[in-house]
Amino acid sequence: MRSVTYGTSPLLAHKTQLWRSRLVMMLVACGFLGLAGRAAYVQLIGNDFFLRQGEVRFARTIELAANRGRILDRNGLILASSVPAASIWAIPEDIDIDDAEIAAKLPQLAKLMDMPLAQLRQRLDSDKSFVWLKRQLDWDVGLQIKALGVKGIHQTREYKRQYPEGEAVAHVVGFTNVEDKGQEGMELAFEKDLAGQAGSRRVIKDRLGRVVEGVGEEIPPIDGRDIQLSIDSKIQFFAYQKIKEQVIAHKALGGSVVVMDAHTGELLALANYPSFDPSNRKRLTGEQLRNRAITDVFEPGSTVKPITVALGLETGKFKPGTLIDTTPGRVTVTGSTISDTHNYGVLTVEGVIQKSSNVGVTKISQQLTAQQMWETFSAVGYGQRPQLAFPGAASGRLRPYKSWRPIEQATMSYGYGLSASLLQMARSYTVFSNDGRVIPASILKLEQPPAGVPIFSVKTANAVRQMLALATGPGGTGQRAQTQGYSVGGKSGTARKQVGKGYAVGKYRAWFTGLAPIEEPRLIVAVMVDEPSNGTFYGGTVAAPVFSTVVQQSLRVLGVTPDMAVQPQIVANPIEESL
Amino acid sequence: MLRINLLLLLAVLASALYLVQTQYASRRLFTELDQAVTKGHQLETERERLQVEQRAQSAPGRIEQLAREQGLQAVTPAITAYVPDNRGVGEH
Repeated sequence: MRSVTYGTSPLLAHKTQLWRSRLVMMLVACGFLGLAGRAAYVQLIGNDFFLRQGEVRFARTIELAANRGRILDRNGLILASSVPAASIWAIPEDIDIDDAEIAAKLPQLAKLMDMPLAQLRQRLDSDKSFVWLKRQLDWDVGLQIKALGVKGIHQTREYKRQYPEGEAVAHVVGFTNVEDKGQEGMELAFEKDLAGQAGSRRVIKDRLGRVVEGVGEEIPPIDGRDIQLSIDSKIQFFAYQKIKEQVIAHKALGGSVVVMDAHTGELLALANYPSFDPSNRKRLTGEQLRNRAITDVFEPGSTVKPITVALGLETGKFKPGTLIDTTPGRVTVTGSTISDTHNYGVLTVEGVIQKSSNVGVTKISQQLTAQQMWETFSAVGYGQRPQLAFPGAASGRLRPYKSWRPIEQATMSYGYGLSASLLQMARSYTVFSNDGRVIPASILKLEQPPAGVPIFSVKTANAVRQMLALATGPGGTGQRAQTQGYSVGGKSGTARKQVGKGYAVGKYRAWFTGLAPIEEPRLIVAVMVDEPSNGTFYGGTVAAPVFSTVVQQSLRVLGVTPDMAVQPQIVANPIEESL
Repeated sequence: MLRINLLLLLAVLASALYLVQTQYASRRLFTELDQAVTKGHQLETERERLQVEQRAQSAPGRIEQLAREQGLQAVTPAITAYVPDNRGVGEH
């Protein structure tokens, strides 16, 4: 290479040394080589790593929340559903509560959130970077808060469970917590089905947080399944209203009603009082929360008698007309005396049920073996855990027959010494409505009725139904169970409450379990009132009237034509006469 | 040879520009789709909310209360005329 001559300036006339220009050229060439090498490394060798790093900086995984399934009644009406709710949070360090503009808006904000102003100010007066102000407010309220536009106050969309039927069906449906997880009732029992599965997707977000592109595959969320219950919300409401009125009127501790479809075992209503409002669960007590009809067991008293009598008929040792001498209204079994309220003299088997004679039933049970009784009682469900998809369903107590003493066999024949829940009592009466077959109870709507297990013959079942009709007829203990237009049949019970080891004085449980219409039963209704203490405490006076109204309303809702003649009534509004 | 190279260069440039354009369009459409999906979701939850609201308004407890206020009385068999169902499709 030749040296270069630059112009004529003496300064430039200096002759550049050859090695220097070579060096510069080498350095520039090295620079380019380096760049090429780096490019090759980034694009070819380390490509995966850089792609990943890039993605981390702008790709985000968004969780796609699954909707919680709804709980529906048998007609598809909503009993529980999730609706969007606004949860309000704040960044206290961003908020200057002494700022005039903000201070002016705070009272309004406090009012919208239903929170004392002082409390709100206290929450905001800190240098925390996050604080929940109020969770799960109504969506509309959230929009109003957004419209206020207080700086530093933000909101997140959450879901809130709504229970349109409120307290009437609270025990069955249950409720969820603030995280939308089932805590009680069906919400808990079917948590897995209701919850569904959250999905996710990878997206690329731009500087402003907008989604501009989806990357990779999207896992769609699986929404929770809807659960359809066997409950009919109208029947449920009537049942709840009636038991509530009766519990209040008789100053009782509580009460329950079970309404069951006589052929399918589906629970049309399951109501308890006291109840609670599922959307406002502050200061709840166990008394309110408990689903008594399912979780509480008691001695059922006389309501068990029809089962004992049915067994007597089934063995062939008794006929409905067989005479049993109950004089003098007392009987002594191994030293203990069992007595009736009156001396009924000689009764037929039908009369024993009609008058609810303890002596009569005891005499029937003395012709039966303990094993026979135990087998029948177990078969109709006493002492057995109900196969019901409900948390905490109690099994009650029925001791093995080998340990029964003669007096226990006698008392069990009329409902003392064993315990059952109201649901179990209702279910055991399905033998009388299904030609002697017992069917399982169900809280879910069934596609087809279950087959049932035969316990008694058709003849026995029909005979006992007639006796139950007599018991609500003239001279029976359950006359107040009668209802306009429909034939009914049922058995009342008044059981003394067990407290500790003995029976409490003046504390009773009033029961009534029955069927309607009696010839072709559609419903089984069981009623229990705990400790009625307003003068009367008999099953026939406290529980039977509830049975009567519930049957009346339920059969009307189901569209059953009355099977008894009704005296038509003319309704006329009084019109003011003109002078 | 040179002409083919030039032609190819032009083709590459054109294709590159076209790629940019499609990518842009694709992102724009994606955003639109995303917004539409979000909107759809919102409408769905709104529908759910309104259904619950409607149910709450027609809950038996409320109906009962309104009926009481208006002095209506409950139906009994004594004031009901029953007519046979001639359609022959079972009970209703």
